[in-house]
This record gives sequence, C-alpha cells and structure tokens, in this order.
Amino acid sequence: MKKRLDLPLLTTLGALSFFVFVPMLSAFEYSIRTPLEGGYGLTHYKWAVDNEDFFHYILRSGWLSALTVLITLIILVPTVTWLHLSDSKLRPLIDALSLLPLVIPVVAFAVGAQISFPEFVQNTVLELPFLYFVLALPYAYRALDIGLNSIPLKTITEAARSTGASWVRTIISVIIPVIRGAVMATVALTFALSIGEYTLTVLLHWDTFPTWVTYVAQENILGAIAISMMSLVIPFVLLTSITLLTPDRSAQRRK
Amino acid sequence: MTSKDLTLTNVSRRFGTVTALDNFNLHVGVGELVALLGPSGCGKTTALRIIAGLESLDSGKVAVGEKDISKVPAHKRNMGMVFQAYSLFPNLTVEENVAFGLQMRKVAKHSRLKRSQELLELVGLPSHAKRFTHQLSGGQQQRVALARALAFSPEILLLDEPLSALDAQVRVNLREEIRRLQISLGTTTVFVTHDQEEAMSISDRVGVMSNGVLEQIDTPDVLYNEPATAFVANFVGVMNRIPANLADGKVNIFGKNLVASKKGSETGKIVALLRPETILVKKSENQGNAKVLTRSFLGASSAIICQTHEGTIVQSLMASLNTGEFQPGTSVDLEVTVNEVMVANG
Ligand SMILES: Nc1ncnc2c1ncn2[C@@H]1O[C@H](COP(=O)(O)OP(=O)(O)O)[C@@H](O)[C@H]1O
Ligand SMILES: [Mg+2]
Repeated sequence: MKKRLDLPLLTTLGALSFFVFVPMLSAFEYSIRTPLEGGYGLTHYKWAVDNEDFFHYILRSGWLSALTVLITLIILVPTVTWLHLSDSKLRPLIDALSLLPLVIPVVAFAVGAQISFPEFVQNTVLELPFLYFVLALPYAYRALDIGLNSIPLKTITEAARSTGASWVRTIISVIIPVIRGAVMATVALTFALSIGEYTLTVLLHWDTFPTWVTYVAQENILGAIAISMMSLVIPFVLLTSITLLTPDRSAQRRK
Repeated sequence: MTSKDLTLTNVSRRFGTVTALDNFNLHVGVGELVALLGPSGCGKTTALRIIAGLESLDSGKVAVGEKDISKVPAHKRNMGMVFQAYSLFPNLTVEENVAFGLQMRKVAKHSRLKRSQELLELVGLPSHAKRFTHQLSGGQQQRVALARALAFSPEILLLDEPLSALDAQVRVNLREEIRRLQISLGTTTVFVTHDQEEAMSISDRVGVMSNGVLEQIDTPDVLYNEPATAFVANFVGVMNRIPANLADGKVNIFGKNLVASKKGSETGKIVALLRPETILVKKSENQGNAKVLTRSFLGASSAIICQTHEGTIVQSLMASLNTGEFQPGTSVDLEVTVNEVMVANG
C-alpha cells in the first residue's frame, strides 16, 4: 500500500506541538539551566527534592485528589446509572444542571461556600475533595453518560439482577467493568482537575501542591518550574499505571 | 434444587393510563412449559418481568410453590431469565458469563467453572468457554444466555422472545433444543413470544393474551380446534374471515347453511371464521363462486388462495394430489366441509 499523508493527524500533532509540546519543552529546557555555572544541570530538581515541603505537598494533593476520585465514583456511578434506567423526564434538566459548575465563577463558588458551609466543615481540609467533585462534575458526568449510552444498560442490568446480583454487586461487578473506558476517563479527568486546582484552594485559604508551587516561585522561579515538571510526570505515571493494571480484557482479545 | 410450580393471582399493573396487566391469573405446573402468546403490547413482557421481580405490581400475588414472593427482590428469586438479545456481559468470557450466577451464590471458582463447562456442553458450545461474547453469532449468544440462566439450577426459567432476533433456520433449531433441555432438566418454564407457530410447537400449554388479559390457556390442540374467543381463533393458526349474515343461529356460506357454534350477541352482519382445511376447492365448469389467485405447493398439502366474486380472500389447505389444475385465474367452487362455524362481529 502506498503511504499517504495523514492530514488530520499531522494537523492535530502540529497544533499539539505548538500549544503543548513546545511550551513544555521550553519550560523543561529552562528548568535545567544553571545560570551560575553556565550550561545545563539538575540543580533545581535537586533543590526541589531536597525541600522537605515538596513531598509534604505532593502527598497532600495526591490523597486529596484520590479522595475526590473516590467520592466522584461513589456518588456519580450509581446516580447516573439510576438516571439512565429510570427513563426520567428530568434527565435533560439534570444534564443541564451538571454543566452549572462550568458557568459559575469559581470566586462566587468559593465565597458561597464560605458563607453557607458550617464552621466544622470549613475547618477541615476534607471540604476540598467535595468542592473539587463539584468542579469536576461536568466532565465526570459527561464521561459516564456517554459510557452508559454506549451499552445496552437495561438488559445487562436486568440480566445481572435476575442471575443473582444485588444492586451493589451489579454496579461493581458488571456496570463498572463494562463501561471501564468511561470510568477511566472519569478517574483521569477528576484526578487531573483536582491535583491542579488553584483558584478555589487559595480563596479558601488552603495550601496544596499548586499553591505551594506559586509560593516557591517567588523565591526561586527555576526551582518552581522544576517542581512543576515533576508534578506533570507524577499524575501521568499514576494514570498510565492504573490504565495498564486494569486492562480491558475483551478489547485486548479483539485486536 | 428442584423445580416448583408458579402461580399468579389477580395481578394488575398500570403504566399511567395503560393497563398492561388486568387481573391476570396464571398457573404453571412443575416442569411444565407454558408459552404466553399475544400481539405486541399485550402485556407479555410485563407479566414475565413481574414474575422475575424486575417490575413491581399494583395488586395481586406471585407465588412459587407455596411461598408468596411478591415482595422478594429479583436477585433473591432464583429464577433464570433469557432476554431477546444483548444481555451477555461483554467484559466476561463465555464460561465466566455462565458461571456468574454461581459466583453470586459464592460457589468456589473450581466448582463453578466445572458446572459452566457442563452447561456449555448441554447447549452445544463445549469449545467456546474461553471466548468473549462478541466473538459469537447471535444464536450462540442466546445459547450462552440460556446456559447462564440454567447454571444455578433455577426454580423457574423465564424466556422473553429469546429467538426473535435470530434467523429463521437458527430459530427453529434452537427452539427445539430449548424444549429438549427443558424437558430433560424438568424446569418450570414461561416462554414469551408473539410467534404462534413457535408457541404451538414447543409448549405443553399456550396462554393467549390480549390487552393485559389471558383470553384462553390450553394445550395447542384445544386452542386450535376449540378456540374460546374470536380473538384466539384469529390469532392461533390461519383463519379465514368470511363476511356473512347471521339469522336464526344459522349462517349461509357458499350455499351451505352452518350452525353458529358460539352464540353471542351477534346478529345480522357478522364474520364467519373458518380454518383453511375446512374449505374445499373444486374445479367449476362455469363461473363458480371464486377464482384462484395463487397455489403454493407445500409438499403433502397445498395452500390455494382464492378470491370470491364478492372480493373476499379465502385460503384453502388441501392434500396436494390433483391440486395442480388450480392455476391462477381458474374458476372454482368453494365448499365448506364442516357443519358448525364460529362467528365474530363484522
Ligand atoms: N415501563 C413502562 N412505562 C410505560 N409503559 C409501559 C412500560 N412497560 C410497558 N408499558 C406498556 O404496557 C403495555 C404492555 O407492554 P409489554 O408488557 O412490553 O407488552 P409485550 O411484551 O406483550 O409486547 C404496552 O402498552 C407498553 O407500552
Ligand atoms: Mg415484549
């Protein structure tokens, strides 16, 4: 077969490199400069890793994001499944409502939370995962919605129920594995959004990895860039390993 | 686990203004196969889903054996169900699909895979255990669904139009296999279909439904020969509907006076219901009372479709011998071979 120019692919790659790869590579190049000695080195990376706060904040952001993912799955998978099964006339309304976090300014959201949440909620950092959940809702909801639309949900659910699976077992052993792709997308989107969330966190006076990086940047901009480069790698490795560790068996054999 | 009998008592279910089931009563004996037959929308699926616990009922009672299970959730009912299509779990292999019910019942992996293999042999797919479901044909998928529904030895087997998405040939083969398996396992079974031939060919008894009501339930022979209502008469087998006049309990069809067998409120203009095998076609020397439209050779018998001079289409079923002369356009005389006739409102 003759090789042909794949124009759509080339265009996508071109756009991606212009907007993503080139800026990232430039940042990386910048972060390994050593202005004092000249040339390149990993000085700033060493500085970052030696900084005891680095691990403190990356861990904190990590578990807060993991918690957000968990909350999202526990709340959203049963709810969206139930919405799909009930052929409720309210579904278009819920679809629209789930978009609200996109149009409400984060500032309004943060101020609203400060005014309305009781003291004991505001006193714990655990308020963040629930707020991140709301911020990620438009994406998570859509990912699951598409996944559930792509399968014969009603029949599969009823088959599981009549074969002896309770509702909880049906969701865990059947629905989640069957819409695995959509669930992985939900996990990835929610995790990425939570681990990078800055505005809301700052407005509520919490410190997480992104707010700490901004703080560090004031004294060592190159160090801050090095930290950011590393923080890019961590979720990437995490998400890739989750994806690889829970392979889609049927899709694999399909090839 | 041995099979039990199934009893529905005065079950009603409404969806808004639609009455899907109206004081529905049904008894299925131990090891019996009962088909629920009726046109689309008559409430067959609703009845089956209520038995399975997948649909709630407004009033009435469902009992398995002596036990009222109306309030038992679906997953605790121990009933196997086969759906029309697309019910297999795509993330599991064939053997895992079949073993799923046993897994839910906490049977050890080794035993459940062994049982799974047994069932796959029973449904004729012994070498497909490790495949994924999308690698199977429609007929094979339904076999797996059947194996999955039977693997945990359910008290009742429920099938909702399991063959209607399949090709004609596969459909006939598989329905006979379902029947063979059902007899050998002795599982009490409810089989829902809108295909009267399917229902009549594999059932101990057939329940004919219309508008949420069981019109008649009996053996296929009785349904065919002694339909209780005009609806059953029309729905089961081929039926000629010949417009006629009813006077003094008599109907004149093709010059012969027949006794109206079911006397209802009908008088005056009615429709006489006659099976094709009760109509005899004879070659006419002159005009006759009808013309042949088509003749289909079916082997031992032939179906001859005629049109009367009044415009009514009439089908006759006769031994093929000497029917070769009934070419399209031939003038013929139609005769009725019976003395009684069912009538319906015109
Ligand atoms: N979930 C439902 N919501 C509203 N109407 C329904 C629902 N299920 C069934 N019906 C109605 O009940 C009647 C019987 O349906 P069904 O039991 O599916 O019939 P069948 O299986 O004989 O075709 C139909 O008029 C159908 O539209
Ligand atoms: Mg139906």
